[in-house]
Amino acid sequence: MLNKHSLSTLATWPWAVLTPVLLFVAIAIFALWISPYDPTTQNYSAVLQGSSWEHWLGTDYLGRDLLSRIITGAQVSLVAMSIVLIAALIIGVTIGSFAGYVGGKTELVLISAIDIILSLPSLVVALAFIGIIGPGYWSMIAALTMAWWANYARMSRAVVTSELHQPYIEAARVMGASHLHIFVRHILPHVLALVVVYASADAGALVLAIATLSFLGLGVEPPTPEWGQMLVDGMNYLEQYPRLVVLPGLALTLVVSSFNLLGEHFALKKVPRGLTQRHLKILKRLRAQEEARISELEASA
Amino acid sequence: MLNKFRRTVFILSTLLFTTLATTIPITSSAQENQTLRIAIKQETGNLDLLQNVSALSTYSLIFEPLIRYGTDGQLQPALATSWITSDDGLTLSFKLRKNVTFSDGSPFDAQTAKWNLERWMGKPEFSWIGISDAMKSIETNGQYDLVINLSKPVPAALYELTIIRPVRFLSPKAVDARGNQTAPIGTGPWVVTENNNSRTLLTRNKNYWGNTPSFANMELKVVPDELARSNGLRSGDLDIIGGDWASPLSPRRARSMQRDPNVAVVAEPGTTSILLTYSPKSPLLQDKSVREAIDLSLERNAIVAIIYEGYATATANLFPKVIPYSGNRNPLPQRDIQAARTKLEQAGWTRSGNSWIKDGKALELELMVSEEALPGSRRLAEMIQGQLSETGIKVRVSSVDNATIHDRRPVFQYDLTFMATYGAPYDPHGTLANLLLSDVDSGPDGKIYMSPELDPVVRAALNAQGAAREEKMQAIYNWLSENMAVSPLVSPKRLWAHNRRVGSFTLPATDYQMLGSDVTLSD
Repeated sequence: MLNKHSLSTLATWPWAVLTPVLLFVAIAIFALWISPYDPTTQNYSAVLQGSSWEHWLGTDYLGRDLLSRIITGAQVSLVAMSIVLIAALIIGVTIGSFAGYVGGKTELVLISAIDIILSLPSLVVALAFIGIIGPGYWSMIAALTMAWWANYARMSRAVVTSELHQPYIEAARVMGASHLHIFVRHILPHVLALVVVYASADAGALVLAIATLSFLGLGVEPPTPEWGQMLVDGMNYLEQYPRLVVLPGLALTLVVSSFNLLGEHFALKKVPRGLTQRHLKILKRLRAQEEARISELEASA
Repeated sequence: MLNKFRRTVFILSTLLFTTLATTIPITSSAQENQTLRIAIKQETGNLDLLQNVSALSTYSLIFEPLIRYGTDGQLQPALATSWITSDDGLTLSFKLRKNVTFSDGSPFDAQTAKWNLERWMGKPEFSWIGISDAMKSIETNGQYDLVINLSKPVPAALYELTIIRPVRFLSPKAVDARGNQTAPIGTGPWVVTENNNSRTLLTRNKNYWGNTPSFANMELKVVPDELARSNGLRSGDLDIIGGDWASPLSPRRARSMQRDPNVAVVAEPGTTSILLTYSPKSPLLQDKSVREAIDLSLERNAIVAIIYEGYATATANLFPKVIPYSGNRNPLPQRDIQAARTKLEQAGWTRSGNSWIKDGKALELELMVSEEALPGSRRLAEMIQGQLSETGIKVRVSSVDNATIHDRRPVFQYDLTFMATYGAPYDPHGTLANLLLSDVDSGPDGKIYMSPELDPVVRAALNAQGAAREEKMQAIYNWLSENMAVSPLVSPKRLWAHNRRVGSFTLPATDYQMLGSDVTLSD
């Protein structure tokens, strides 16, 4: 049941940045139902067609419906991105929190390993990993997870280290709470609050990384439609049929921008912002009004 | 008065300056226009005839063979004016061309030819060339008679002498004390004047014995990207692009360039075939019915229309018709999904949903492709994946890099893959010996198919001479068809393009060469 309070909370949500992300998620979830055609069915009598009532965005070089492929591509990107994010969060939070909580030499070893991974660009780590285990969908997932977890581990460790010195943790210890209880009830919520916000900003970068690996032929295998793969296949037709490149490129740009804006919005909420001249003027005006009101009250008294 | 004088001086000097300014570019333009600019996909290299490192097509501008491979496989005189093969096939006698000199002025004669041939003939690293493997001795008889004695007949010997490397002739002065090549000095129509990683400059060989080119210079520009090459042609930075080895032009790009009035696309029947090959070690493909079902599911004409944009011919033959001894033309199999399913059912496969199962194993195959090794192969694989899925044969397209495909091919670590025949002048003997005989090391190329039953058939054909040769060659093609050992798909056309600055343009006889004999510039 929605009460007045929850409705007013909904109104404060950042709908401008949230709507495109929710739209992307909805398209991805309902891709199977809203795709007008099977995205893998080839139709040689309808290759490279332009927009029509039958094919709103036209067809590709094998006669496959472009709209259906872009919609299904959204699903592929969302699923892969979600798996990588969840796996990277679990690994990163576990290792980082453990390092921060245990401390000592264990922390030193773990944090050094994290620093080594962080010193390398994520895509380079992913490419190296794929080079070892070979290309493929699950290789791509594993490689991106390996490249992404270290960031979350570093953040988790920082939060745990600072929270451990808070008085309420000391109090919980004195009252005989177990390590697990202290970690799960008192520290983990703080860790997740920070890490999840950063993960929302990372989602866009991950969608781009998935497309990049598929562009290089190291990610999703055909015939599964994927935006990066659609881009590379469309490159051959760029001169005569630019929409084969423009449309998946546009979908990719919109999704990445939406996630980036959402992440930025959350990040800005966490950071105290400096006062601008305009804010100062408003504050001065409010203070003057308040002072005038008080003096009026005093005068009337 | 003074002012009038100054005005006159000013007007005269302006006129003089304008005249100079307009004539100087014309003069330099006229000089520049005598340079033909061709794109090459990679730097030329040092052009060492004994090393397998330099770009093949550039050799043909500088070095010449005894015999030249002509159109449709005709053998034409080059540095040898005539030749005779003895009845037993053990002696090859050549009459050498007189008055031929290398570009450094040293004469070409029987002694020089002998010295050149002895640099590679009989050496283990060149045993892949039949004539080198069988060489017994080389003799000279006078200044212009050369005789090669063989220990066993090599029916393809004359064709082997038409290839690019190492058989062409180098000036004896262009080697160091240890016999290593120091400079690319040949008898051909062009001389290298500058060679670096961005371009190779050539100038006409003043000592050339044949028809000298109509333009003075040639610039081979290194342009690795295909789109950049076609843009260079359109903008006038390049005059000619194309050729499998010089600067490949994709069918899609050729099709889009055909609409450009300033560009002429030249397409002629190719000498290679693109094959869908079956790994002889794949457990699922041991079953001939599966191979037959795959072949029946293929729609070759659609591949020609979509992937090759019409610049290819659908084929069921190992070699195109232009290759000597390429055998009778097989009729093009018609796509028949029902017949393919029947084949599988007869072989004991049972339908399970949208797939096939036998002995608990699903009919799922890996198609290994590398876009680097064969451009366009990923899209071709996707197309074949779609065609086979209609029969219920599941195909997983595995896209790998050049190094991986070269590692996995020789050990048959795949189910299906694409391969190409070598093309003229190496075929048919090159492909048959290297890609079908099990005891010949074909390096990273792997094998089209391998079977102990096939080996004697191939060997008999390669050793056959005279009229028997054609019959024995046909026996190989029949064996491959009867056993469904390979599915030839298409024979791509040779694609080149030039701008309107090029007056006449003829394709070289093979894409291993750079330029035809009748290329002229229109200005």
